[in-house]
Amino acid sequence: MDQVLQPLLRSLETGSVYALAALGIIIVWRTSLVMHFAQGSMGMFSGTAVAYVLNHWGLPLWQAVLVGVVVAIALGFLVDFAVIRRLKRATAVGKEIITLGLIMVFLGAAPIIFGTDPMLLPKFIPSGDVSLGGANLSYNGILNISVGVLIALGLFFVLQKTKIGLAIRATASSDQTARLMGIPTRRVTLMSWALAGVLGMLAAVMIAPTVTVTPTFMNTVQVAALFACVLGGFQTFYGPVIGAYLIAVAANFLKLYVSSVWGEQLMYLLILVFLLFRPNGLIGKTYLQKV
Amino acid sequence: MTTATPARTAAPTKGLASRLLHNAHAQFLVFGLLLCLLPSLGSALGLKASTLQTLGFVLIYSIAALGLNLLLGYSGLVSLGTSGFMGLGAYLAAYLQDDLGLGFWCGVLAAVVIPTVVGLLVGVVSLRIRGIYLAIVTLCVSEILLKTFEQLEWFTKGTAGKQSHYPSLFGFQTGRASMFVVCAVALVLVMMLTHNTVHGQLGRALHAMRSSEVAARAMGVNILKYKLFAFALATAYAGLAGALYLFFLKSSYPSTWNLFLSLNVIAMVVVGGLRSIFGTVAGAFIIFAVPELVLKKLPVIGDVSGLPYIFSGILIILVIMFFPQGMKGVADLVRRPFQRRPASGKGAPA
Repeated sequence: MDQVLQPLLRSLETGSVYALAALGIIIVWRTSLVMHFAQGSMGMFSGTAVAYVLNHWGLPLWQAVLVGVVVAIALGFLVDFAVIRRLKRATAVGKEIITLGLIMVFLGAAPIIFGTDPMLLPKFIPSGDVSLGGANLSYNGILNISVGVLIALGLFFVLQKTKIGLAIRATASSDQTARLMGIPTRRVTLMSWALAGVLGMLAAVMIAPTVTVTPTFMNTVQVAALFACVLGGFQTFYGPVIGAYLIAVAANFLKLYVSSVWGEQLMYLLILVFLLFRPNGLIGKTYLQKV
Repeated sequence: MTTATPARTAAPTKGLASRLLHNAHAQFLVFGLLLCLLPSLGSALGLKASTLQTLGFVLIYSIAALGLNLLLGYSGLVSLGTSGFMGLGAYLAAYLQDDLGLGFWCGVLAAVVIPTVVGLLVGVVSLRIRGIYLAIVTLCVSEILLKTFEQLEWFTKGTAGKQSHYPSLFGFQTGRASMFVVCAVALVLVMMLTHNTVHGQLGRALHAMRSSEVAARAMGVNILKYKLFAFALATAYAGLAGALYLFFLKSSYPSTWNLFLSLNVIAMVVVGGLRSIFGTVAGAFIIFAVPELVLKKLPVIGDVSGLPYIFSGILIILVIMFFPQGMKGVADLVRRPFQRRPASGKGAPA
């Protein structure tokens, strides 16, 4: 039993990280139709800011995370103000390439601003385990899982039940019609970029204790989050979250029972095969194009 | 790739010299000839060996960028797997030439064919779905290939790096200068092939696809086939560029073939200008050579390690925001005041 439960709990932890990053990607995709390839590197940048504040200014972790939230929001505002909202005429590919350019800017800027030494970011709750039916889960793991699940649920609640959520959904379904209806779509887009930044930062802070904080530490998260969106489908907000947890579980079990080196790679190949049969993802609707 | 339009529509009364000047193939040949003279001229003029090396890499990256330009410029698709396919080409070339002793040509052939086959498989899966997926899937393929380069020790020597040596061609042992010439010749051939591709029947289909996919499909253009073709050509060029990279540098490390290289190649295409052949070479020069030759020599900021990334990243963003046509757009902007009269042969039957 514990041979199934233990890796399952472990994967829920990474799944939460992927889910947060994927939520950022899908919110940006739905509101401004930009494939957000820089989600990982923006998360990396603000996550590195958290580690820097912690290691060099000596602030406690929760205050450092608050600083990280401010940095992430500022970055999201900056990107939308300076670049994205001036791109109304650019093609979809142009916008995609812009986010690729952003990756390079953030990866180049992080070592210049925060120094080239790799840093460590401690766990929120340093020690302590719970025994659950023969499997162990650390308190920090419980915290990570619940942060991921609660944020996802909170976001779904806001999207479905509040006026702001309605504005976001309206913008997502048609930017132009939403503007005609008096929805401040610019503000919605601005907010979604800031929100994506904060979600990326949280993902970075959650994954950081298991790795060292270097400019590339979010690369796996970025790939996994993109694939979570592909697997879950780009048409709903909850699809990518389901996709993220599925990816984490599948990767963990393949690593454990098939190959510790090639498990993750095998999982991506399986997703590709799956997409051959369900091109729009798990919860995708058929994509129609008007002439 | 629009450079040939004047040649086609030029009035027949014009002199041979001006016609040659406007002929795209003649332009490529002159450009290649100048490049081939560079090593010998350079040593006479005191060109540093390291500068020659940098320029050689510009030629190699230009080849990869030309393939991506075809893909991005005509099908509007982005591949993030360029570095992975280049790396695959490099390791295949090294394996066939040095480990199996099959020589230069077999190495290059394998470096072109095998990545193309892998690319076709990837393309068949991802292009059937939606264009946007190609970027994600190639990103993933690139990560898988990178992992393979690190793990598959019998093939790549892992992180220790694969060592190779200059190949012998037609019984002639090459060195750095002659490898530079080989790269220049390869680049000119690739430029000609690209030019012919986009001006043939294939090119018309690609053009139709670019202006409206739905309309092109209605006219009987098989979109999937041509997108797949553009992607296959891009991977073939990347494989060739990888093989040349290996023979030029004589070694290959897994860390070379990371995401940045792919992003840099995209930057070369964007900065150089979509669908412009000479622009792509200029873009490769700006993105690769300018940081190497100029930025690193600057007094204070020259030592900063992340500077080339920021340079390419900001250039990409600025170019897309203000000069969607890249270097070609900038060149037209500069040229416009001197070209008052409209193109004369525009209405003439071709």
